[in-house]
Amino acid sequence: MSELEKKTENGSVGAAEDGASGEQKAGGDSGVGMGVLFFIAAFAVCFLSGWLLFPSLLYSKKEQPFNFNHALHVAETGGCDSCHFFREDGSFAGIPKNSSCVECHESQLGETEDEAIFMTEYVEKGVEVPWLIYSEQPDCVFFSHAAHVVGAKMDCVSCHGHIGESETLKPYQENRITGYSRDIWGENIWGIKKNSWDRMKMDDCAECHQEETGSKGACFQCHK
Amino acid sequence: MTQDNHGKAHKFGMVIDLDKCTGCGSCMVACMSENNVPFKEDETNKKDSLTWMTVFKLSNEKNFPETDICYMPRPCMHCGGKGDHGHSPCVSVCPATATDYGYDTGIVSQIYTRCFGCRYCMGACPYHARYFNWWDPKWPDGMEEYLSPDVSPRMRGVVEKCSFCYHRYQEARDRAYYEERRDTIEEGEYQTACTQACPAGAITFGDLHNPEHEVYKLVKPDPHQCGKPRNPKAFRLLERLQTNPKVYYISEREWVRKAGDNYRKGEWGQQKKSDGDKGHK
Amino acid sequence: MKIDRRSFLGLGLGAAAGVAASPVTWKLTDDSSIWTQNWPWTPVPHDGEVSFDDTVCTLCPGNCGISIRKIDGRAVKIEGKKGYPVNDGGVCLHGLSGLQYLYDPARVHFPMVKNGDTWKQISWDEATTLVAGKIKELRDKGMPDSIACVYGNDKGSIAGLYKRFLMAVGSQNFYTVDSMEKSWEALISRMHGLKASAAFDLANADYLLSFGAGFIEGWGSPVNNFLANSSRKERQAKLVQVEYRLSNTAANADMWVPAKPGTEADLALGICSAMISEKLHDADFVQKSGKAFDNFAKFVSEKYAPESVSRTTGIDVSTIKDIAVQFAKAKTPVAIAGRGRGDSAGSLMEFAAVHALNCLKGNFNKAGGFWTLENQDTLTWPSLEMDDVATKGYAKPPVGLTSVISTASLPKLFETINASEKSPVELMMVYNSNPCFTLHNAKAVKDAVNKIPFVVSFSSCMDDTAQLADVILPSHMFLEMSQDIHSGAGIAKRITALSKAVIAPVFDTKNPGDIIISVAKAVDGSVAASFPWENYDECLESVNGDQWSTLSEEGYIDSELTVPATPLVADFSIFEGFRGFPSIEGDEKSYPLTLVSVDTIRLASGSFASSPFAVKTVEDTVLIQKDSVIEINPETADKVGVSQGDYALVTTPLGEAKVRVNLFHGIMPGVIAMPEGLGHSFGTSSQVVTKGGAGLLSKNGATSIITATGGVSAASGTFENRYIGGKGVNVNELIGPITDPASGLDVAWGIRARISRA
Repeated sequence: MSELEKKTENGSVGAAEDGASGEQKAGGDSGVGMGVLFFIAAFAVCFLSGWLLFPSLLYSKKEQPFNFNHALHVAETGGCDSCHFFREDGSFAGIPKNSSCVECHESQLGETEDEAIFMTEYVEKGVEVPWLIYSEQPDCVFFSHAAHVVGAKMDCVSCHGHIGESETLKPYQENRITGYSRDIWGENIWGIKKNSWDRMKMDDCAECHQEETGSKGACFQCHK
Repeated sequence: MTQDNHGKAHKFGMVIDLDKCTGCGSCMVACMSENNVPFKEDETNKKDSLTWMTVFKLSNEKNFPETDICYMPRPCMHCGGKGDHGHSPCVSVCPATATDYGYDTGIVSQIYTRCFGCRYCMGACPYHARYFNWWDPKWPDGMEEYLSPDVSPRMRGVVEKCSFCYHRYQEARDRAYYEERRDTIEEGEYQTACTQACPAGAITFGDLHNPEHEVYKLVKPDPHQCGKPRNPKAFRLLERLQTNPKVYYISEREWVRKAGDNYRKGEWGQQKKSDGDKGHK
Repeated sequence: MKIDRRSFLGLGLGAAAGVAASPVTWKLTDDSSIWTQNWPWTPVPHDGEVSFDDTVCTLCPGNCGISIRKIDGRAVKIEGKKGYPVNDGGVCLHGLSGLQYLYDPARVHFPMVKNGDTWKQISWDEATTLVAGKIKELRDKGMPDSIACVYGNDKGSIAGLYKRFLMAVGSQNFYTVDSMEKSWEALISRMHGLKASAAFDLANADYLLSFGAGFIEGWGSPVNNFLANSSRKERQAKLVQVEYRLSNTAANADMWVPAKPGTEADLALGICSAMISEKLHDADFVQKSGKAFDNFAKFVSEKYAPESVSRTTGIDVSTIKDIAVQFAKAKTPVAIAGRGRGDSAGSLMEFAAVHALNCLKGNFNKAGGFWTLENQDTLTWPSLEMDDVATKGYAKPPVGLTSVISTASLPKLFETINASEKSPVELMMVYNSNPCFTLHNAKAVKDAVNKIPFVVSFSSCMDDTAQLADVILPSHMFLEMSQDIHSGAGIAKRITALSKAVIAPVFDTKNPGDIIISVAKAVDGSVAASFPWENYDECLESVNGDQWSTLSEEGYIDSELTVPATPLVADFSIFEGFRGFPSIEGDEKSYPLTLVSVDTIRLASGSFASSPFAVKTVEDTVLIQKDSVIEINPETADKVGVSQGDYALVTTPLGEAKVRVNLFHGIMPGVIAMPEGLGHSFGTSSQVVTKGGAGLLSKNGATSIITATGGVSAASGTFENRYIGGKGVNVNELIGPITDPASGLDVAWGIRARISRA
């Protein structure tokens, strides 16, 4: 046992010695440790700023001219197409013009400040409301609402989400580089989507077209 | 969502009667104003002049007074390529998929935002129908106000060409969808700007797959020969390259028809004979 | 712990890995690629609701129906109006470019007065007072007859207002531009004793024999003719073109007859001779002409037998006889005169020679025939007040009165001014015409205009004449104004139309009708009393009387043509004492070649300059950079020693010009052709001093894709239209006028010339 003990002692001595020498070594190789530390630190900073800071830097927030209560209007008018209608030639009118609004808002109907702004600043002055459009696509895109809504009987929700149930307008987030709304790329900065309306990039169009029609379609189908 | 099952594929094409064409240039301007084509101070260097529709002047090169001239409007031919399978010369070479063949319409697209300006397609096109934007477009003060939203204005560094006024097809389809007619578009609903403007009525446009359409009746395309015209007075440019253009020309004048391709000595006679034989069948 | 190289390595790698594991790279790649596809300077046209607004194009006398395509009220395109009786959907390239004239860089943005070498902006009130003041001054001096007005044509209520204004101040000096229409009118008056204009039912005629008429070069009502021409194939109608050059019309014709230039009318008489000798003419019809016809028959058979005509014209006897037979056998043949686009007058006797063919067939006033449309003034004017000064002034004959057809002629006016020491015209008003560019010997016209003490231009664009004006009161361009339109230009239809203001004025301009009404009101007295209307719109409505409601609702009235009550008789006595057709200027020895001006539909050569689009379509055989290109037969070129693309010097008795050469087999040897419509002098800049604030009127902000600018920038006020200005040579500076002994009109179509290498 003494031998064993010795061995252990030796071992421990050895270990101690080794440890000492190890410590020394570590002292001599401290660059690796710092390197790892720096790596981790830089990784963490970049990773986190990429996920957290970058999106807020990339997008500028703009407020709409005044708030618009979709839920209220849907309840009053009955559906999306009362205001967002097709013109006789099959083209989609999009955001209604003042002339459509004043069909009901001949004079102020409610008591909200927003409606007051609309009436005094826009209707009375004969100026169209400069709404910021969340779903505005680049100029090269031709999107046929008729093909999707009338032809394929799709719901507005499939692409536009539940905006019709919203009571307030969210701030418009404009991409500082492209000038387009954040909603095109999607709220998720990685571009991950859960719902069909989360993203509106060309790949998303193509994905659905592939599923539904068996082909992504030719370029001119959606471009001009 | 219900699946929208597109009907039978179209094959949009154009027939130009060269005996009616007066060379007035209306088609060129109709095209330019329809498609937001820009212009420069000097446009006399025709190599850098953007004209999707160009009217060429052909001559029989005979001495006075045997001389004859013929005007030949040349849009994009929207080639079907060998075998008419959509392998157009330009589409085959584009490294960016900025130009593709629409199998549902037979129209060759050009997507400006996708194009990066390598100009392979221009080299590949045997009809010089493609144009490169060497400069950014510039309009005199205020003139941008007349630009049409139907066609995207192009930027410097991309190729552009005739689209058979595809945006008019898009609009016609919008209407058809809205009226729940799906993909059934009447002949008159989709016409190109040049066809509509031609004061001589020399241009006819329609679906070459539809025997009811005027274009079909005029040239009687042969389905077994990739749409080669069965009307002996009709021809396509550089037929023997097998690019299978969708633009047909009609002329009573033999020298004009002969000018449609490059023939070696004696070849034209044989060509005529074989065409004549087919005409009798 | 020490910071060393490895730490930095770690830092770098960590940052790289951190970024890679974050969405930054992917997102930025995507965003920057989108960024490169959407440069901020590439315009993005605003989208919106499509609408169409119909009106009538007034760029040329053709007056086609057009549809303006609008997006949310913003005009984006001009298209032909389907179903319109003139053009049925077709439209020419100038009409299609109409929107370019709205924003033409040469447009005059506001009233301006010349101040030495620069233009100074003035208000409308100042401008009106200035012009009215000058007129009052002249009237006070008892010289109302020294006031003159040059107006493009005399149709419609705006022309009526200007004519009325001259009468009210006391002057007969109202001038319109000469054209083939005037020659036809003079001829019809002489041969048929009618006050009528000529019209040709080309869409139904089965044999069209054109003596140099550029039937599809823009002659008459261009689009109407294009339609008539292309329907020939289905109708089995023939077109025969007599022309020394393979024009587009000749190329499109079934038969091209290249008679030597200036001998077209000889050929016509030769064909008459062949018809008469073969008894192919309508004996019943000519019988009514009595002895005069027998004299004519004798005259042509002696002097214009096919054999001798063949020598003059260079056309085979058999061809002449063939044409005679074909013309005679045709059911509804018409013979057409009026060279090129018909923008200038032609010799009365040449027209008579051509018209003799029509008379031999008697194919008058029926489908497919020659029509005499009696001048009907459908406008009703209130009575005019003329004071003593006016009555006295109006009693004096106009300056530049032509002897024969007793109307004042514009070329003669300028000739008279140049010949007098002091200009007999003290004040000249110009609207809708550009005589300093379109008249022959344009340089002399400029000299004459410079001699006139006070020139008032109503032009909406700077042009060669407006440049020399002392004050410009700019008019709206046609899409911005209303006016009534009355068809003419040889079209066998009687259409009254309303050209509507379809676009809000872009600049501080006015309707020329409103301008003259306000000037008249400022002149005061009996002149003001003769202009009782509040504004032009009120005048337009009242003078159109009963037809106004239809006009304003339907847009046009297509009235049935009326056949004259008494059947037409042709007076052949016009040929008695005939000595031959006028020849061109210059002696053959020093000038062995013939220079002719030719029209191409792609270049405008009248009161308006070509648009950028139109110039873009011009071939490089017509214009190379800033050089006009002349057309010459390779054989002639060989003799002169010039080849394709060479610079050459063209010399005529009037001057010389450096041009480039295009060899063309289709032009007769010995003839050189130069295009009309080039050589505008307003490309070079002239300074404008602005008051600031005016200029592009603010537009309906929301639909506008450009923001309205406050004032006119220096660049936009210099009238530098570099798209057409300063390009090429004005052929009218090389060709001088020739007065027709029979009508007094300027009938020049060419001049003798020589050419050498330059």
